[in-house]
Amino acid sequence: MALATSPAWQIARQSARFALREKTVALLAALFVALVLISAWLGWRATATVDSIYADAAAFLQKSGQPVPQNPVLDISPLSLMRNMSVYVALIGALSAIVIGNRLVGLDRKAGVLPLIGIRPLTRSTYAKGKIVALGGLILLLALISGIIAVVTFLLLPAVVPNAAQWVQLAGFMGVSALYMAIFGLVGLGTGAAARSETVGLLVPVTLWLTLTFIFPQLTANLNPTAAINPISALAPLPDTPFFHAAGQVLGPLSLADAYKFASASLLDYLPQGIVSPSFIPPIAELVLATLLAGAFAWSALTRLSMAQGDYNV
Amino acid sequence: MPAPMLSLRSLGQSFNGQTVVQDLTMDIAQGEVFGFLGHNGAGKTTTIHMLTTLARPSSGTAIVAGHDICDDPVAVRRSIGYVPENVRLYDTLTAAENLAFFARLSGVANPAARVSDVLALLDCADLADRRVAAFSKGMRQRIGLAQAILHRPEVLFLDEPTSGLDPMGIKMLRDLILRLNGEFGMTIFMNTHLISEIAKTCTSIAVLSHGKLVFHDRIEAVTARYGDDTALEELYLSLTPVGRLSEVA
Repeated sequence: MALATSPAWQIARQSARFALREKTVALLAALFVALVLISAWLGWRATATVDSIYADAAAFLQKSGQPVPQNPVLDISPLSLMRNMSVYVALIGALSAIVIGNRLVGLDRKAGVLPLIGIRPLTRSTYAKGKIVALGGLILLLALISGIIAVVTFLLLPAVVPNAAQWVQLAGFMGVSALYMAIFGLVGLGTGAAARSETVGLLVPVTLWLTLTFIFPQLTANLNPTAAINPISALAPLPDTPFFHAAGQVLGPLSLADAYKFASASLLDYLPQGIVSPSFIPPIAELVLATLLAGAFAWSALTRLSMAQGDYNV
Repeated sequence: MPAPMLSLRSLGQSFNGQTVVQDLTMDIAQGEVFGFLGHNGAGKTTTIHMLTTLARPSSGTAIVAGHDICDDPVAVRRSIGYVPENVRLYDTLTAAENLAFFARLSGVANPAARVSDVLALLDCADLADRRVAAFSKGMRQRIGLAQAILHRPEVLFLDEPTSGLDPMGIKMLRDLILRLNGEFGMTIFMNTHLISEIAKTCTSIAVLSHGKLVFHDRIEAVTARYGDDTALEELYLSLTPVGRLSEVA
């Protein structure tokens, strides 16, 4: 009850409702969910096709009295069926998070209501807390929808039934995906509060996202942009040249898209043997660290936002 | 003698080394309708921003409704209402939705009921379910006033409340201000440069010029000394740069 009436909760609830009413946010979120659905369908369809061909072949072999080999579907972890989902999280999920973060504060600034919020009996940190809670809620909602799609896909596929440990791994993957989106959402929130104009507030995190998703993987693992977004090619071994070893050492800890792909590959059981992340920091630790840094930036920008002159282009 | 509702003590504000408001010291008693006059850029809005805790002073402080603006800004915010010069609201929401949000932030117990009461009090219940995007300046000003009194503040700050309103709108707003002051005992702090409004609504006035307080007195004393509106205007012009320029010319 106290939570429901607290000013931070009021800010969070109102901001989340507003953000969801925004066409751009709704469109990107819908696109993300649609792509997650497509990735699940593709994984389901591919596995179901192999399973169906195996069933026909097994029936034929059985009828002709020949030995029936094991179903190839069972040779791979059922979780790897979801590997395309990591691509869409790194692409549309992160972009959606940036837009959500930006709009959560941008809507107040654009509407010009900051002075009317600033004179309410709440501290600047309550305002910041409300915005961060709203962002967390919306990102968890996206992750939850993706998780439900993944669970339904597994339940519809009788040939692949994850065991208890694999269900936990799937939950871990959803958590890591939410963490990855939260990094970009927090940066979007921070720049939305710190930038003087709406355009700059959106352009800065989008540039960062482009750099982390497409440029850094090229420098740390010599991957072309198409391969950088592909979960299989992106996990190729590092070219054995001094430049890439040096670039991997220096830029590896900053290459968040790589960290996310390695963490996802590990959790979804498709990380090839002998391939390691170019960073000396373990991938999940790197993502946690980046979330904390992005959170500190967002907090600082939100608590410093001028309630008197915080409207855009003032 | 009762403690003043507002007590400014050497209040000052500078931006990038430039002094905007300098060494403001004055008291405003409870129940006053205080008119704060000054030319454009004199520092009136900056002063309101400091008193409403929207901006932290560079020097000095003020006590508003018994609370220090620097030491206890949240307590000050509980006691005040503020209507900015241009009232801006969430355009996609209705007037009632906007007001309910601000009521909840102010900790009003039953926001929906309070919003209805306030809209009825301000004679604009018909605006409740209309989206504010299509509101005229006058309508926005009324909703702005409504959001400012939702939590029954002791002090109401109005920044150029009549700016951009037609004569009918000005009269309506003036009547509302006098009603809030008369019926509910609210202390009103009003920024303006309309001399005619000062004479009709205020119980005391002060003049700010280039960030410095150059005049502060009760309206009866002013009218007794200087006479009608025209004389008040002469007084104002003599205290502001425009007046001094006309003297030179």
